[in-house]
Amino acid sequence: MRSKIFVLISSVLLIILLQTTLLEYIKFNSIKPNLLLVFIVSVALLRGNIEGAVTGFFAGLMQDIVSGKVIGFYALLGMYLGIAIGSVNKRLYRDNFFVALVFSFVASIVYESVVYFFGVFLKGQTDFIYSFTNIILPEAVYNMAATVIIFFIVMKIDDRIKKSNKSSRKY
Amino acid sequence: MVRLLKKKSFLIVLVSLILIVIMGITSTRSSKLGWFGNLLNSVVSPVQKALSSSGHKVDSTVSFFKDSKAINDENEKLKQRVDQLEKENDSLKELKTKNDLLIEALDLKNQLKQFDYISANIIAKDPGNWFNVFTIDKGSNDKIDKDYAVVASKGLVGRVMVAGPFSSKVISVIDIDSTVSGRLTKTRDYVEIKGDLSLRDQGLCKMYNISPDVDVAVGDKVETSGIGGIFPKGIAIGEVTEIRQINNELDRYAIVKPVVDFRRLEDVFVLKSKN
Repeated sequence: MRSKIFVLISSVLLIILLQTTLLEYIKFNSIKPNLLLVFIVSVALLRGNIEGAVTGFFAGLMQDIVSGKVIGFYALLGMYLGIAIGSVNKRLYRDNFFVALVFSFVASIVYESVVYFFGVFLKGQTDFIYSFTNIILPEAVYNMAATVIIFFIVMKIDDRIKKSNKSSRKY
Repeated sequence: MVRLLKKKSFLIVLVSLILIVIMGITSTRSSKLGWFGNLLNSVVSPVQKALSSSGHKVDSTVSFFKDSKAINDENEKLKQRVDQLEKENDSLKELKTKNDLLIEALDLKNQLKQFDYISANIIAKDPGNWFNVFTIDKGSNDKIDKDYAVVASKGLVGRVMVAGPFSSKVISVIDIDSTVSGRLTKTRDYVEIKGDLSLRDQGLCKMYNISPDVDVAVGDKVETSGIGGIFPKGIAIGEVTEIRQINNELDRYAIVKPVVDFRRLEDVFVLKSKN
């Protein structure tokens, strides 16, 4: 349990650091992928809705603090994302790459549309078509590419945790 | 109560409610929860600093090899430009001495002389794709506070949004949440400069509230007006590149190209008033 929390906190910190610094240099058409979202989707798919919700909450809170406009918005959104994806995962092959790709694509579109609505639309920038084709859609595609890497890493960590759980139960 | 707490759906609703309350508290301008964010940012900002500077180094080494031909061409052009500028400079020096005399005669004070320039580096950008907020490596320990104006060598960058002990967040003029009161340098008319989502990618912003009798033309310079008390008067913002009319004269806006190139921005100055 304790090691699980440690892994969660350190990976979220690592991702937020990458997200705010080095990802600037791999921008494509001034769009960067959202690694935190991909991480939440991967964890929720592999570990279910409770851990998905905790990861989403924590990752969102970090994003709130680092982006600094309002605290709580991304935390709430991340938590709901984790719950939603974690709840559907029981009916699917959870460690299937293709499922993860589709989920991260759909989740990106829904998540960024919500961010657009509350963070942009309500402030008077009402051109949704532009935002969708120029920000949301390219980011979703980019997130799919990032899923390949992050989902693989999360899957490896997940295997480790499962193994150590089994061996600790033996005694 | 304990049994209630163990229920998942109840927990979700409870956490949601708490978060909504926190959002309400932090969205007001004078929130008391800043220390919470500052705590984490103080831990994170040194690492961000190291990471961005190493990333920048790699980037500049790569572009060093990529650009060497372009640099040669540029060098030629620059040499010609230096000659041309030296000529211009001489004539400008003449004008300057004349100007100094006139200013003294009018007893105008240069507003920006009342400020200290604190130099800072950009160490992190916003994690998402929607906003143009960045983190700089100076904070309240260097006597930086909220709402201080941030400039680059050429002109206005933005203002400090949150100031932590070791880092602070700056909202740039091309962010959609930023509004700056400006004025046209030529005619002294007040206008409003706002960020716009579709122009942001090209590093441009919008100019609103142009009253119908104002004569705006492409190439007009815009500077800060000093109204509102955040930005001191007379900092260059940009240049009008296009005027768009929606229906009639009353309903028009202009597109402004800021003097600062936000994609290549690395060092900025925070303006701190001396008194």
